[in-house]
Amino acid sequence: MLKKIGSIESNAYGFNALALLAESSKTFSGDMLALDFQECTTFDANMAAPLYASLTCYNVEKVQAVNIRHDIRVVLTKNGFLGELGFRNISDSDQTILPFRRFKRNEGLSFANYLSQYMRGRGIPRMSAGLTKRFLQSLFEIFQNAAMHSNSQSGIFVCGQLSPAMNKLDFSIADAGIGIRDSVRKHFNNTINSCSAIKWALEEGHTTKTNNQPGGLGLKLLKDFIRINQGKIQITSRYGFHEISGKVEPFYKLDYDFPGTCVNIEINTDDTRNYALKSEIKSSDIF
Amino acid sequence: MNEQTMPAVRLKAAEILGNDLCISSEDGQTLFEATASLISEGKQVIVSFEGVSMLISLFLNAAIGQLYGQFTENQVRSHLLVEGLAPDDMELLRGVVENAKKYYSRPKEYDKAWAVEGDDEE
Repeated sequence: MLKKIGSIESNAYGFNALALLAESSKTFSGDMLALDFQECTTFDANMAAPLYASLTCYNVEKVQAVNIRHDIRVVLTKNGFLGELGFRNISDSDQTILPFRRFKRNEGLSFANYLSQYMRGRGIPRMSAGLTKRFLQSLFEIFQNAAMHSNSQSGIFVCGQLSPAMNKLDFSIADAGIGIRDSVRKHFNNTINSCSAIKWALEEGHTTKTNNQPGGLGLKLLKDFIRINQGKIQITSRYGFHEISGKVEPFYKLDYDFPGTCVNIEINTDDTRNYALKSEIKSSDIF
Repeated sequence: MNEQTMPAVRLKAAEILGNDLCISSEDGQTLFEATASLISEGKQVIVSFEGVSMLISLFLNAAIGQLYGQFTENQVRSHLLVEGLAPDDMELLRGVVENAKKYYSRPKEYDKAWAVEGDDEE
């Protein structure tokens, strides 16, 4: 059975399309899904991660990609996504790809190995040591947040793309879990909507941990870093989409239910700020 | 021997955890338990992050922030030191500690504020 997929860019329209694809699984029957790319003229490589989250909604034995344009096929084959569907992978000769991978929620160390392998020397010569450290810290915070809160049975999906000409690096971390909304609803026994739940989660100190532990700094730190770096964050969770970029920080309600959460982070790789602090802080000043 | 003159016990995070990454809540819990146990015995503790290549707030919440749920601020201040952190990681730790102090001083405050939220239209 065919399911059409349109262009997928890193924006609210792209996530709306992926949410529609996921919702369409409710009326789908059959053992094989043929994903029809005929109307897809653009596909941002990092969006392979949330695409995979949508595909987890289909209880099928096989997924095929059909009618796919050559350039999009190259992008999705290079980053290993189509390899998941049985295509033969193409080597990343430009070394601009952080390939698509699936991790179990307890595989934080494997994720670290992945980043170590693909961030090092991968055509990212201009990123300063300070910027690289803050970027990696951000990715670990997002990954571990997903591991802790998503309850995603199918794991966590990641994918990234460097665009040297535009001095940007895009990375997506997606899960097929309960979403921030349901995590907050369970914690407070309320009926908060998806956008309000994202807004809540971004506030410093807000956490849905149930083990009497403080938390709720990860997303706040990410937001602070991206503002300094002049990059971009997109947080999509269930019906909610939020973008933090420059002075504009809109929330949009999606038309369909995205199956989980995806955080897209885009950094300005040309940022030469020294993120290391100049002043020393003593241990005795902290406690 | 009083507490002030007791030799400090140095806990090396990288050795206790068996790796140089301080990124998981579980590992944070392991370090917390080791630290809390020593503080409970009245010992001075130096947590060393020498050789740690990556540190995030989620780890520090469990490893250090959680101490404020078990001990008073005075107890933590007089029994705990950290070493081996870069200045930006010390800044991160400071944020974690401030957040933990707030959290344990009013853990239910946010709950009250958000429990009334009922804006579901999905």
